[in-house]
Amino acid sequence: MIKTAQDMKSYKKQLKEALADKFLRSALDNFNTAYRENRSTVYEGIDFEGLKNEIAAGKDAALPHFIEMFEEFKAKAEAAGAKVHTAKDAREANKIIAAIAKENRVKKIIKAKSMTAEETFLNDHLEKEGFTVTETDLGEWIIQLRGEGPSHMVMPAIHLSRYQVGDLFAEVTREKQESENIDKLVKVARKQLRPAYLEADMGISGANFAIAESGALGLVTNEGNMRLVTTLPRVHVALVGYDKLIPDLKSMLRIIKVLPRNATGQAITSYVTWIKGAVECASSPGSRKEMHIVFLDNGRLALAKDPVFSESLRCIRCGACANVCPIYSKVGGHKYGHVYIGAIGLILTLFYHGSENGRAIVRNCINCQACKEVCPVDIDLPHLIKKTHRVILHQEGKKPVKNFLLSTVMKNRKLFHFILRKAYLAQKPLAGKEPMIRHLPHFFGKEHGFRSVPVISKIPFRDQWQQIRPQVVGPKYTIALFVGCAIDFIYPEQARALLKLLKGRGVQVEFPMDQRCCGLPLLAAAEEETAKDVALQNLKAMHSESYDYILTLCASCGSHLKHNYLKMFKSDPDAPENLKQFTDKIIDFSSFMANVLDISAKEINAAPQKVAYHSPCHLCRGLQVTEEPRKLIEIAGHEYVPSKDEDVCCGFGGSYSVDFPEISAEILKKKLDNVQDTNARLLVTDCPGCVIQLRGGMDQRGNKIQVKHIAEVLAEALK
Amino acid sequence: MQNPDLIKQMRERAEAVQAIVSIIGTIKEACQYAVAITKKQGGRTVVAAGLKTKEQDYLKNECESSGLRLLEFPLRLHANEIHTSLTIVDGGVAETGTLVLDSTSEDVRIATMLAETHVAVLPALKIKPDTTALENELNAVLKADVPSYTAFITGASRTADIERVLAIGVHGPQELHILIMEENKA
Repeated sequence: MIKTAQDMKSYKKQLKEALADKFLRSALDNFNTAYRENRSTVYEGIDFEGLKNEIAAGKDAALPHFIEMFEEFKAKAEAAGAKVHTAKDAREANKIIAAIAKENRVKKIIKAKSMTAEETFLNDHLEKEGFTVTETDLGEWIIQLRGEGPSHMVMPAIHLSRYQVGDLFAEVTREKQESENIDKLVKVARKQLRPAYLEADMGISGANFAIAESGALGLVTNEGNMRLVTTLPRVHVALVGYDKLIPDLKSMLRIIKVLPRNATGQAITSYVTWIKGAVECASSPGSRKEMHIVFLDNGRLALAKDPVFSESLRCIRCGACANVCPIYSKVGGHKYGHVYIGAIGLILTLFYHGSENGRAIVRNCINCQACKEVCPVDIDLPHLIKKTHRVILHQEGKKPVKNFLLSTVMKNRKLFHFILRKAYLAQKPLAGKEPMIRHLPHFFGKEHGFRSVPVISKIPFRDQWQQIRPQVVGPKYTIALFVGCAIDFIYPEQARALLKLLKGRGVQVEFPMDQRCCGLPLLAAAEEETAKDVALQNLKAMHSESYDYILTLCASCGSHLKHNYLKMFKSDPDAPENLKQFTDKIIDFSSFMANVLDISAKEINAAPQKVAYHSPCHLCRGLQVTEEPRKLIEIAGHEYVPSKDEDVCCGFGGSYSVDFPEISAEILKKKLDNVQDTNARLLVTDCPGCVIQLRGGMDQRGNKIQVKHIAEVLAEALK
Repeated sequence: MQNPDLIKQMRERAEAVQAIVSIIGTIKEACQYAVAITKKQGGRTVVAAGLKTKEQDYLKNECESSGLRLLEFPLRLHANEIHTSLTIVDGGVAETGTLVLDSTSEDVRIATMLAETHVAVLPALKIKPDTTALENELNAVLKADVPSYTAFITGASRTADIERVLAIGVHGPQELHILIMEENKA
């Protein structure tokens, strides 16, 4: 049975158990790396971005017309002998299917894989009604025998080793199994399930597509079991969500170009099948199949009208959002979803299975954007996860204390900065003369000890500004520095490195004093109202009209200012006039140095070192900047040595690493292992948040590899 | 006109998904191939769908002289004993090495789903470059107000459900042999 945690305490306990499962960890970690490595080969010669945009636009155009498309589908399918039903919720769908079984005097039922049937817990219902139900998809059969839910939408038994499967099959067959040999295990399933197809009275399938213009179902499969399930028994019931309706064949052919590629790395699956109407069936009394199609609403029709969440209905269940998720790869699907798994599961759970099942899992997103990048239908998953979190907080009317404090403090810049200054005094006894705190006080709990914590700077950047402010006569560019909290209060030296680099390059830098936290931590805590409040104050403070660029040294601030500010005020009549001007002027450090100033190797030359690079999530995916920082490393005279999974999250995620320290530590561990494998002496990145995590982790390891912001590395290399 | 580039691409893409591809000139050769592969694999039965009466008779003779049994329709009666099924498919998609087979007839379905080995004859003239080129034809079938069951078949059945290790031959055929039948090869 599925046991999704309904509160944080039990969720954390479950996560701890999952992290201790060594097989799961190595299997999913390897999968995460292999999947991303294979992706470029799989999409060779295919315009992924183009297809993605077309498919998303097609899905969006269809959303408001579910009912019309349903009517069209029904008329065409019924003209060919199918019977079409509608169910408003899971209970009704299960009742309809059980009634069809009773009417047709069915005893044995076989099933092909269907996430929609998982959604309604159809098997439980049918078994309660006295029917024998056998899953036939290999993975589904395995988890059915174990009494579990799927841990992945495409590979339901990915959490199990061959030995676990072998032991299970030995029990089922009462014969010893050669677990080492996966081919043989697969043949066990083939042999065991063959009689079930022939004995069954009814077959149940899902469908990937319901094509309105023809009334045909489209199914995309590999094992061949679905074909048998829909052929041998005399009754066929297909359970289909309204979201599977598409207008025409063209739409389906377009989607099957990306679905198998994204799901399993195949150009096409072994079988793509179109079933229309009641086909010939010799075992049926009328020699025609008793064919039923049940359309499930369960919240979809309302969701289709939701201005924010409707895009989640674009999902084609490829499972890729789990494949690339650094958290999924640490804890597995049973702890990363309810029925639907992965990023999309964190969203859909609220709508299909209620806030009680969504409230804990929805917090477990680090906002690294990997899912968003890989999504073939362009769902802004991290954004919707935060929105889902917000809905749950509002629905339940109980806000965590953290949210209350965060919101109160962040609204008031002076109060927030006052607290940060006081923090310097509080931490002093812990750090002594060291730049980091290596042993946290006991009340933090030892799970937080995976990284040393940087100390708050004695004099924040904003207090240094008057003394270091450069004056440039006849500047070529006038820019505003948006410094961000981490650099302002922890690493002012990173901003000073920038000033050193800009000297003599005709750039007048200003530091608008009223700037404050960008607001990303608020959005991360689903405090959208306060995040907007903070954004308005920054928009006012930064005077974008006076500058050519607004430069950030922090990738997270940068992508939040550039993209989330627009998103937060989308279709808000009170959106400030200078919003677009402001967001257009945001630029990250590396792009400014490499593209605007066109800094060259002649000016800079370091004593060459082997340098590894960590690509910050919000730079490579958020701001789509990938070439520039790597170029700057070489311009600085260093040897850039690529490391594995360079663009995978470091595990920081701001408050994520405090909320989920054990997961953060595991993500960091893999990152640092990969860096150590390169024999680099220096690890460079361009986000102070990543520096906190990476430097703290290296320090706890006692490793000599230095971690620096790229601005520091360039400034040190100046001739 | 048959297009050698399309035949080449069809062959490469199908082989990339573990199909076994040969070029033939006549249906007779296909019959001989089906009999030979059945014997080689130690199978005892063959079934054929889509052959003309004369071809069917030829296959029956070939089977009998090799000690094999040619199963008769309806195949439900033989569901547990189909070793090789020989079919003539309706089209090919070179881009993905895919076969297109109208499977509305229940016997065609059973033959291609329950057999251990599926031998498919693909007339070279029916190879299309991609699915776009097939769209109208396919749509005509789907839109007609009659029941239909249409299949794209690409390689043998497969799974990666255990430890993501690819295993060929799960519930469907364990091997797919494609015999591309060229026009002037006879």
